[in-house]
Amino acid sequence: MFDLKLLLLELGLALILARLLGYAFDRAKQPAVIGEILAGIILGPFVMGNLFGFDILSPSINSSVEAIAYIGIVLLLFLSGIETGIGELKNSGKKGLITSAFDVGIAFLFGYIVGGMMGYDFIHRIAIGNIFSATSVGITVRTLMEMDALHTNVGNLILTVAVLDDILGIVVLSVTLGKGSVEMLLLKVLIFFAIFIVILYGLYKFQKAKIKANIPRFVLTSALAFCFIFSALAMSLGLAAITGSFFAGLLLSVIPQRRRITEFLHQVGDVFFIPLFFVWVGASFDFSAIHGLGTLILYFIPMALLGKIIGCSIGAKITGFNNRDALAVGVGMMPRMEVALIVATTEMSMGIFAGAMAHQILASTILLVIISSLITPFALKLVYKPPAKESNATNA
Amino acid sequence: MELKLKEIHDKKIRDILDERAKINLPVIEKDASIQSLLSILAARDHVWAVDKKGSRKVVGVVTEKDMLRLLAPARLPKYVFGKKYGVSIEYGTATKTEDVMCKQLITCSPDDNVGDALQKMVNAGLRRLPVIDGDEIVGEITAHYIIQILLGKR
Repeated sequence: MFDLKLLLLELGLALILARLLGYAFDRAKQPAVIGEILAGIILGPFVMGNLFGFDILSPSINSSVEAIAYIGIVLLLFLSGIETGIGELKNSGKKGLITSAFDVGIAFLFGYIVGGMMGYDFIHRIAIGNIFSATSVGITVRTLMEMDALHTNVGNLILTVAVLDDILGIVVLSVTLGKGSVEMLLLKVLIFFAIFIVILYGLYKFQKAKIKANIPRFVLTSALAFCFIFSALAMSLGLAAITGSFFAGLLLSVIPQRRRITEFLHQVGDVFFIPLFFVWVGASFDFSAIHGLGTLILYFIPMALLGKIIGCSIGAKITGFNNRDALAVGVGMMPRMEVALIVATTEMSMGIFAGAMAHQILASTILLVIISSLITPFALKLVYKPPAKESNATNA
Repeated sequence: MELKLKEIHDKKIRDILDERAKINLPVIEKDASIQSLLSILAARDHVWAVDKKGSRKVVGVVTEKDMLRLLAPARLPKYVFGKKYGVSIEYGTATKTEDVMCKQLITCSPDDNVGDALQKMVNAGLRRLPVIDGDEIVGEITAHYIIQILLGKR
């Protein structure tokens, strides 16, 4: 039964607590996202539910929050696509491409190996590989800013590779997690990208066209509608919804109204939908799953961190960085945040992980997110000493 | 005055374009340093970026509002994507006009109606449009300019 009163209460409490804890974490120079997840853990069935018998945000009672959370993911990836933009791809250059390829490749492989060590099936190994290949460099950018090293070669490569990683990671995800036989899957992916290119071409043409009609806020409404329809299309082709919305965002990054759409999405997304996703993830965190974690966590977190360090360092080394700088790139690419959580929940929603395993994987991913973003600033400061600022002095 | 506003709406942009303003357009080449960009912005409230010196092909724009964002202390949003959050004068990652300009422009042509151009500005939340003929900038329409026309000062 749909319970409006409960939903409203949940939304109100979740939003305000997420904002407050997010702010507290931000002040403590930690990612706000962790605060939002924490808000979910507090409000969820395992803290509030157990302590006070105050059962909100429990998946068994109300699934409306879950629906809003999924819309949050779709919007987040849409924003990610539109802010990344196709233009970035052209500017990324050979160094970025090589590093990113090694990075995603090796991180994926490490995930696959972890799955193997746990004795999981083929599909589950691939699913873990996908979680491992996601990066979110927010915390690294923040650290580099503090060290005043964002303008260095290392900083520049990290920013470029982070952009490419998202794209590469999502392409790998779409290809490896699709349902059906290999030939059918390949065909579906081809159809998806064919549609992508046709729409891209259409949008370039459309800009030249002169349209007289003036429907207020038509661009904003149609951008949202396009995002949802394109995601639905991706799903009907057996791909993930986030693949659809990310590529819908990439498509709309070519139109001149891009900035307006981004501003609008930030308002809607950052205030309402996206925090609710992280709260919901926190509320789904199952403390009872921790007992069963044992060996999984022993492999999962170190391997996830090592995969990135080794992959990026090899890539950066090949493109001509010295050992120390290459290692710094690797360490800087270590943190996992939004994308890893999104991939994990998407895999749950696609039914790849279910039951106890789903809880364990989600719990491991949340712990990975927290641990990796706690240790990255220290590790980065340890391995990387930015060069003296001479190049900057001439520009300033 | 109401009558006059309607009249202005129905005019072609070509007819109200100021020839003097055309010579005096604020332009800068896209690989100019931030310093030269700022020295223009010290006097003007926006600059059109062109692809190379002497060219009239507009590839971007930098407005006062963009600059405000770049001058304020760099602050990361909650969710960080793409490269643009790393672009900052403070941290030395933005060194050229190209790095800070808005690359996707909403433009109008000399044959558009003034009313349509104004509607475009309202829809997109802009206060200025470049007037593009073919590939080249031939002038600009700004809110100020329209007010001046309405008051008979032009």
